[in-house]
Amino acid sequence: MDRRTFIKLTAITGTSATLASCGNPENEFIRFVPEEDIVQGVAVWKPSVCPLCAAGCGLTVRVMDADAEVVREGQLGLVRIAAAKKLEGAPEHPISRGGLCARGQAAIQVTYHPDRITQPLKRSGDRGSGQYEAISWDDAIAEVVSRLDTLESAGNQMALSFVSGGRAGHRATLVDQFLSRFGARGATSYQLFGDDVLRRANALSFSRGQMPTPDLPNSRYVLSFGADFLGTWNSPVAQASGYGHMRQGRPGIRGTFTQVESRMSQTGANADAWVPVAPGTEGVLALGLAHVIMAAGLLPGSSAGRAGAIVDGWDGGLADYTPEQVAQVTGVPAARVERLAREFAETRPAVAIIAGPPLAHTNGLFAAVAVNALNALVGSVEQPGGLYFTPQLNVAGASNAAASAASPSPSIEALASGVLAGESSPEVLLLDGANPVFTTPRAWRVREAFEQIPYIASFGSFLDETSILADLILPDHSFLESWIEGVPESGSLSAVASVAPPTMRPLHETRATEDVLLEIGRGLQRPLDLPWQTFEEMLAATFTALPAPEAEFDGWTDAQEKGVWSGPLPAALVREATPAPVPDAPLAYVPPMFDGDAGQFPLHFLPYPSSAFLDGSLAHLPWLQEMPDPLTSAMWSSWIEINPSTAEALGIRDGDVVEVTSGQGSLRSAAVLSPGIAPNVVAMPVGQGHQTFTRYASGRGENPVDLIAPMSDSTTGALAWAATRVRLSRVGPADGRLVLFAGGLREHPEEHR
Amino acid sequence: MTRWGMAADLDRCNGCGACVVACHAENNISTVGDEQAARGRAKHWIRVERYWEGDFPDVRLKFRPVMCQQCGNAPCEPVCPTYASHHTEEGLNAQVYNRCIGTRYCANACPYNTRFFDFFNPQWDKPLQLQLNPDVSLREVGVMEKCTFCVQRIQGAKIQAQAEERELLDGEIQPACVQGCAAKALVFGDLEDPESQVSRLSRSPRGSKLLEDVGTQPAVAYLARQTQA
Repeated sequence: MDRRTFIKLTAITGTSATLASCGNPENEFIRFVPEEDIVQGVAVWKPSVCPLCAAGCGLTVRVMDADAEVVREGQLGLVRIAAAKKLEGAPEHPISRGGLCARGQAAIQVTYHPDRITQPLKRSGDRGSGQYEAISWDDAIAEVVSRLDTLESAGNQMALSFVSGGRAGHRATLVDQFLSRFGARGATSYQLFGDDVLRRANALSFSRGQMPTPDLPNSRYVLSFGADFLGTWNSPVAQASGYGHMRQGRPGIRGTFTQVESRMSQTGANADAWVPVAPGTEGVLALGLAHVIMAAGLLPGSSAGRAGAIVDGWDGGLADYTPEQVAQVTGVPAARVERLAREFAETRPAVAIIAGPPLAHTNGLFAAVAVNALNALVGSVEQPGGLYFTPQLNVAGASNAAASAASPSPSIEALASGVLAGESSPEVLLLDGANPVFTTPRAWRVREAFEQIPYIASFGSFLDETSILADLILPDHSFLESWIEGVPESGSLSAVASVAPPTMRPLHETRATEDVLLEIGRGLQRPLDLPWQTFEEMLAATFTALPAPEAEFDGWTDAQEKGVWSGPLPAALVREATPAPVPDAPLAYVPPMFDGDAGQFPLHFLPYPSSAFLDGSLAHLPWLQEMPDPLTSAMWSSWIEINPSTAEALGIRDGDVVEVTSGQGSLRSAAVLSPGIAPNVVAMPVGQGHQTFTRYASGRGENPVDLIAPMSDSTTGALAWAATRVRLSRVGPADGRLVLFAGGLREHPEEHR
Repeated sequence: MTRWGMAADLDRCNGCGACVVACHAENNISTVGDEQAARGRAKHWIRVERYWEGDFPDVRLKFRPVMCQQCGNAPCEPVCPTYASHHTEEGLNAQVYNRCIGTRYCANACPYNTRFFDFFNPQWDKPLQLQLNPDVSLREVGVMEKCTFCVQRIQGAKIQAQAEERELLDGEIQPACVQGCAAKALVFGDLEDPESQVSRLSRSPRGSKLLEDVGTQPAVAYLARQTQA
């Protein structure tokens, strides 16, 4: 064959191959002209902010060219886009300092998730059926506008409710402005593992109603009451960074760490001394330490100031909290109480932290106030190595929002009970970043209440147990596709505000929720007249108001390039601390109350935020599903942790299927025998058990929230999620529902087909 | 010459698992799903091992991140009939996927269980494939895969240094697990350079190597967690 024939032949074969692919759109790929300038094979790095929890870690995103499938004018084809490839912690960001947790590493899968909602949807089937039809953005926005106009015409603006995940920052401020100008109440925020008890305690003790920032890198003794500060609580990346420094970052100095809890958490596993304590008595132990410190004359009680004065019996040296009495209540031997107290008072600087299960009891506020008093007693508040409070930017002030904020909102529990009792009647509910049907106790009947609300619109990117009740879905961009910001409540000793422009172009027909709200506000018959046309304008207002790091810099440009602003806040931009409420009477210890009679339900039930999924909102990310749990190596599953002696008494072996029953209901899961849990406690990670949450999480495992009784902290009313008792029984042998990563090839004989 | 090595400070490591997910993200490791994971087919080039000691209430738990130890005398290399597992000049136990015929002798020989077999072709539900790192090749069915110390990052840094006509700096190369670690428990560098941070840490009196007595000469040093009475 000569060269000419060869070329002819290939030309013909090529043509026929093209013809053969006609009629089969899968093979009919066309390459569209890219919309952006991309240098192939060259990575660029862009700043962003991790959206997965309130910590607000700064990211640096690796962006490279990739081929994305798109449909244009009915034609399926490929287009080269600049796509995010890898998320890293931003090295210069004061919160993440170059690190990133497992969840943050997986955040990129939110953007590329196969089950993301790609365009506005209108319900076409029954509520909850998940049947939707496509609708244009114009029609979708017009629909919300007309619903809100109807409320306005009837003078019924209070019938607009907004339910959110409770994250502070610019988005929350924008929502608040939207609601107040419309005439509705503020957003109802809900988080299962929220920290409202701790904020209230800090307001009482220190007039600072916010999350604390422990100065771990400079501390020499860390005493933690139940706080999973290296795993899931507060600002885990900043805290892990500080912890590493505390242990091995100072030549010749190694900080000591003691953890007090009834089930060993990932954080507790790292403690030098792990002190199990009876559930709900953590505050007693804290006051026991204070008693020893005062009785031994190590420090005077008066040094605790207001934080001590609000504790009942403080002025008398806490006479009722002798080591012997404390031992009786908490189960911690008197000698150990004595030793802990001396260690804590004599190792300077020392810091005590409380969070998680101790605050999720009916006496949670007392425990938090007790630990605050202990910190104040040893002079660890706003001192190096102690407890700090990150100065807070006044977002509303900086971004030129009006001073008037929306009136206080009902809790999600009150919202639901109001609907069910027919007392209040929200006509329109907007849903953003919360899945209360999954994360609230069944007794609150949130799903039932939401079903009675005539109109629900959701801004979420995924169908979950709550958003599947929506009549209209207005899908948000992913954080990589939109302006993203964060105003962290803790994690840094100086004020922080993060901001970043979109990292990549939107993959789908989605829109930034902030801009959608602004557009709705403009379209109403009485326009809301919000001070910004776009979210970008709002961010520009804030970051222009913040002082530039150097006089010749433009603060707004500088912040966008770095992804963050940090430094001393000018007095005019500081969010004023909430006025300290004065308690009617000093707080006294009241034994914790539990749902369920101790005879019928002998075990304490401890649901805890899972390392991978937090409250379940991340169960849709396959990398996190396949990440082995730090303490059990479990993947893709649910389990119940049981002390071996308890299991033996009940005839339960490792991996057996067991039934756990509370006064609220029962569920079956696999038993994991763990020496790190008290014999009278069983624990279960929250996160699995979704009915509706993408292909990776739906129908997988069990949701322990189903067992939680509607108990609450007696003062704040916050859900006491650790105050439920259960009983346990064996159902049968292991049935394969628990998947463990044993750490190597555990090959099973393969059947040959 | 260069000998790449790592030091893991177990007093800083808190077991969070960020390294595990960072590795998945960097190295295009496919997730296998629950059914295959139950058959022991999940692939984690780095894992966090846990060791329980004692009984309640005097119980302790220790974490240890374990990846390929990049042995100086690697049991996986001589058993490979196709030289897919081989030793590089810089001390890496490299795996050439195109040479691998899937005998799995190497996994059999590895005392650390850090080699993983691809039982099927990787699959990403669209558009998850957009997350793939173009610098790392995908492994198809029938080959072994393992930790490479992020060799793509090593090569990238070398090219960068060459272009800038300078030597590589200590700490310039960070494998994904090292970069993501918030507690800075992992340190990577050149063991031949006595001044590098990894060399200094590896000489620590707290240091030891995993299963050193079997003669594998691992390039990973573990710095023991300290205890306080």
